Amino acid sequence: MPHFVALILYIGSLIFWLRSLTKGGRAPGPSVAFTMASLGVLIHSYALVVFASTYGRLPLTGLGPSLSSLALVIGLALVGTIVFGEGRRIGIVVIPFIILLETAAVALGVEPSSEVLDFQGAWFSLHVMMAFIGFGGLTLSFAASSLYVVQLGELNNKRMGRLFQFTPSLATLDRISRVALVTGFVTFTLALGLGWFWTITFRQSLDQWNPKVLWSVMTWFVFLGIFVARRFSRLIPQIGAWASVFGFSMVVLSYIALRLFVSTKGFFL
Amino acid sequence: MIPVTVVGISHKTAPLPVRERFSFTNGEALALLESLRDYSGMTEGVVLSTCHRTELYMCPGTDQDLIESARSALKVKAGDLVGGAEQYLYHFSGVQAVEHLYKVTAGLESMVFGEAEIQGQVKEAYDLTKNTSTGRALVGPVLHRLFQSALAVGGRVRSETPVGKGAASVASVAVGLAKKIFGGLENKNVMVLGAGNTAELVVESLGRDGVSDLIVSNRCLGHAQQLASRFSGRAVHFSEMSHSLKSVDILIASTAAPYTLVTLEGFRDSLSGFREKPFLILDLAIPRDIEAEVGAEPNVFLYNVDDLKEIVDDNLLNRKASIPMAHGIINESIASFSEWNETVEVVPVIKDLRESWDQERKNQLEWLWRKLPGLGESEREVVEGFSKRLINKLLHEPTSQLKKSVGNGKGEVFLEAVKYLHKIEGITSQEVQDPESELDQAD
Repeated sequence: MPHFVALILYIGSLIFWLRSLTKGGRAPGPSVAFTMASLGVLIHSYALVVFASTYGRLPLTGLGPSLSSLALVIGLALVGTIVFGEGRRIGIVVIPFIILLETAAVALGVEPSSEVLDFQGAWFSLHVMMAFIGFGGLTLSFAASSLYVVQLGELNNKRMGRLFQFTPSLATLDRISRVALVTGFVTFTLALGLGWFWTITFRQSLDQWNPKVLWSVMTWFVFLGIFVARRFSRLIPQIGAWASVFGFSMVVLSYIALRLFVSTKGFFL
Repeated sequence: MIPVTVVGISHKTAPLPVRERFSFTNGEALALLESLRDYSGMTEGVVLSTCHRTELYMCPGTDQDLIESARSALKVKAGDLVGGAEQYLYHFSGVQAVEHLYKVTAGLESMVFGEAEIQGQVKEAYDLTKNTSTGRALVGPVLHRLFQSALAVGGRVRSETPVGKGAASVASVAVGLAKKIFGGLENKNVMVLGAGNTAELVVESLGRDGVSDLIVSNRCLGHAQQLASRFSGRAVHFSEMSHSLKSVDILIASTAAPYTLVTLEGFRDSLSGFREKPFLILDLAIPRDIEAEVGAEPNVFLYNVDDLKEIVDDNLLNRKASIPMAHGIINESIASFSEWNETVEVVPVIKDLRESWDQERKNQLEWLWRKLPGLGESEREVVEGFSKRLINKLLHEPTSQLKKSVGNGKGEVFLEAVKYLHKIEGITSQEVQDPESELDQAD
């Protein structure tokens, strides 16, 4: 039940974001939308705490619980954008992802998985949580970069319509994207490091042909690619923004492809 | 008839030098109103004096002598004008006066269509006359109601229609662009080339938003120093301009130079290569001061006067599209005010009617107590309660019908009939302080 309530709040938030967009971001639309999203995150957190206390384990294994946890991490990251003032308006891009993930989780059932993994305990929890924070950072960077591209288009085309009014400033979007990328990259690197350390310690193998490992390494290189693009395109900032958009899209599409076409046993999501 | 009239001038009837002559300070406005109240029969009054209009709202509105006194007072204030001050004055009475104030407050009569500042100015004008130094308020029930409803109309029009959306002047567009590029304007460096009026307005707007450093560059250093000193900036000669350009975030160019001042090559040289932070350039000069190719440089946002004008025109067009919606709100509010105004006349009659019936009830009870001396205290209370209930029941239907008749336009006829049948003398609306609460009590 709490998952449904959280989902309804997320959907309500999206409706208010869209309404706010049609009104050029005038108050109180963005505040209402952000408050609804924050309430959704609160209830979502409660739902996962209940899961953990009921089943005596964190919701990090099994597709339903994992997707729901990832949605929550992205939601928490969105709540964190409150420090960027109008930057929280990236919620209009972030919330659809949260809705998608949470809907999938609810549809699959937020139930503990019967699958027993070799990789367990605190190591595993830390590894998955840090990877999720990494994905959260990548999602936020994608959202901020998408709006950056939109705002740049409005400025270059000399339009000052509703989209221009609603979208945050280039400086704010760039700051969010940078902070999200740095946070995401650091935590994702630590997650990969932990995974690698566990594998070579307990399995004496890199397990490098495992699709999960391949996908994770690819995601790490995507992060790196975005950093390189940002570093060497400071003169043309839209290249850095486009790199975030393409990088995130690549990670999401490759994940979907893996889930559809490759055996996913042991896949943490 | 709504007892309100307005006499005044505005940007639509008078140019700036004339409007300046009609301008009132707060003290002058109060003195004028007190004089009209003491010597010309005005019961309520408000003076609205802004850059674009001076208007005198008065009650009662039907008194021709009062209107003439107000016109004379405004003419005296303006002094000698070529052709006389009379040619600039306008006056509206009744519903037209109400409609005018509603349109003014909503920004529909403003020079910059839909601007919001007028809402605050109307409120200030009204607040000024609420509490005077003499302790006698210059607004009564009619203007109180009128101004409160005008402020509500202004608020509704702004929130329910796009009348105030989008920047509507070159200066506000410039500030809007700067904010969307830099986020905030704190710690941003601005350079002005030339010292034109538009550039000055833009600098003023940017200054209000916290721009930290201002450099004015002009061929005549004296003019540059004048403008710079007004905004706590510093002046540099044209020859030093390219050297200072490197640290600048916003460049406003508005010289009268007949040739391009900043070429692409010169721009690149000034910055010693490319720069990583954004650069906003507003070229307000005709002919242009900045070569168009500069706008294609990385991180440079170049807007010329046509770009800015186009944005302003688009926004004004969007604002004006809201006129039918705004008129809908205004008409609705005029109807509501008219209805309230008619109620003002009904309330004293109902109040008087109730008082006379109540007096008769008390007389009859006195007679009854004399006839039945054996009645105990509790029995007397029951009878008294019964008498009150009976009067209320008997008067309920006629009074509610009377109130309803106000809404369907037959109020005046019925009112006269009730006054005649119950021998009620005429009561003026000025006796009523809060008609709605009195109506509630009468219920």
